[in-house]
Amino acid sequence: MPSIESVVEPLVSLRDVHLAFAGNPVLKGINLDVYPGQAVSIIGPSGSGKSTILRCITGLLQPQRGQIRVADTRVDALTREAQRIELRKRVGFVFQQYNLFPHLSVLQNLMIAPRKVLGRNRIDAEKDARALLAKVRMEHKADAYPGQLSGGQQQRVAIARALTMRPQLILFDEVTSALDPETVGEVLTVIRELTQEGMTCVLVTHEMRFAEEISDVVYFTENGVIVEHGSAEQIFEHPANERTREFLRHALGAPARRGPIVSDPYLLTNLSRYSLSV
Amino acid sequence: MNHWLEFFVHWASSLGLNYGFLLDAYPRSTLAQGALTTLWLCLLTIIGSLLTGLGLAALLTSGKRALAVPARVFIEVTRNTPTLVQLYCAFLVLNMLLNQAVGTANPLTPFAWVVIVISLHKGAFHAEALRAGIEAVPAVTLEAARSLAFSNRQLLWNVQLPLALRFALPSLINNLIDLVKMTAVASAIAVGDITYSAIMIWTQSDNVLELMILLLGFYGLLSFIVNCVGRYLEARLRMPGYGH
Ligand SMILES: Nc1ncnc2c1ncn2[C@@H]1O[C@H](COP(=O)(O)OP(=O)(O)O)[C@@H](O)[C@H]1O
Ligand SMILES: [Mg+2]
Repeated sequence: MPSIESVVEPLVSLRDVHLAFAGNPVLKGINLDVYPGQAVSIIGPSGSGKSTILRCITGLLQPQRGQIRVADTRVDALTREAQRIELRKRVGFVFQQYNLFPHLSVLQNLMIAPRKVLGRNRIDAEKDARALLAKVRMEHKADAYPGQLSGGQQQRVAIARALTMRPQLILFDEVTSALDPETVGEVLTVIRELTQEGMTCVLVTHEMRFAEEISDVVYFTENGVIVEHGSAEQIFEHPANERTREFLRHALGAPARRGPIVSDPYLLTNLSRYSLSV
Repeated sequence: MNHWLEFFVHWASSLGLNYGFLLDAYPRSTLAQGALTTLWLCLLTIIGSLLTGLGLAALLTSGKRALAVPARVFIEVTRNTPTLVQLYCAFLVLNMLLNQAVGTANPLTPFAWVVIVISLHKGAFHAEALRAGIEAVPAVTLEAARSLAFSNRQLLWNVQLPLALRFALPSLINNLIDLVKMTAVASAIAVGDITYSAIMIWTQSDNVLELMILLLGFYGLLSFIVNCVGRYLEARLRMPGYGH
């Protein structure tokens, strides 16, 4: 990628982003670049600030320090609702818990934002919605309600819903973490297809094999800092940092070297330091 | 019509109930007028209380202390005092003060006072039901709407209120059934609702039992109708599969 990076501007760039919740620092100087068409994965233990990074990119959270740029929008400097709306029209977000609107049918879930936010007419919005449902192989459930679908089906609908806005960029926040192992694959297939079509994606994921397969760049975060980043091969095959190596050892399920118990085993933080939610 | 009435009176007399007064034009029209007044009271207080409840719930959930605290104080005072006492206070004290201030230009009739007092009283209960509904809307669902570029206004009308209303509906219907029965307090300040009309008739003749049965039947029917409308709305607004 370096040859491309030198000529193309990043679509998303974070520079020295700091964010604290009520004095509790969560992001401590994040630098991150996403180039158009790239799939970038963020991996790292729970609570390391991965979701917070994604929320900052789409303006749901405002950092106390640092710069966030999406295309030519300075996200950290947005003050008015109208500016945030303009940003969010271009940035899709898919959540771990799907977050579909339970009172609307699948089709209505896909039509409401294009109609209300983009002002598109009913017929076009419906045509688009049905095409996107077909893309995620959910066209047969257009009239079902979210509560009637399995987790994997809901998540595919949520991806289609994000696509209805024709975003330049989609953020995926642990979208398979709440799914049964059997249904993880159907969601990953959809995301894989999107990246193959050239959609710019930022994925927070615990699916290490998947991240390795589809990512152009992988960032490893811990405790609110980027410990290491590089190509998928670099991070997964030749991690430079000891923290990264230790995390991957656990995450990839390799038999972990268990040292002697040096610290209090009943301390919760020691119990499941790298417990994963997949 | 009259034919059916005669038939009913005849049939009731075989049960030992004397509904003969229904054949007299005067008590009959008094009762009919009373029934109509009660219907109007119900209709206006249902609308008034729901609007009050919505307004109070908006204040409660505004996140602004200056708005939420007065709303909370109003709700607690209203919920914790009897409606009848509130009505006496409003009619005997506020209305008198108003009379002193503006004399005969006072536009508020006893009927209007009943509508105001019941609307505010039940509005306090609706506000609590709606607040519970609003707070039950998952924050992540709102975040999803926001990330789809909804404005705050679109989010409120398309996501937050529709969901809050569904969560609050059973409590709201419960409040409205109670409201129908509560309109009987109007009789305490001589508004000619059906209860007052019945009292007027039975003080002049000996038919308390017959009028009681009519009254109970009438209120029962009204509550039943509200109940049916509630069931219908719940069925219409059902979210298939939600919460399973
Ligand atoms: N709204 C919030 N208020 C306070 N603390 C929060 C909030 N959101 C996240 N945090 C804290 O910030 C840290 C990072 O959270 P998050 O970004 O969700 O981590 P990750 O997604 O990597 O698991 C956690 O310690 C979490 O408790
Ligand atoms: Mg997270």
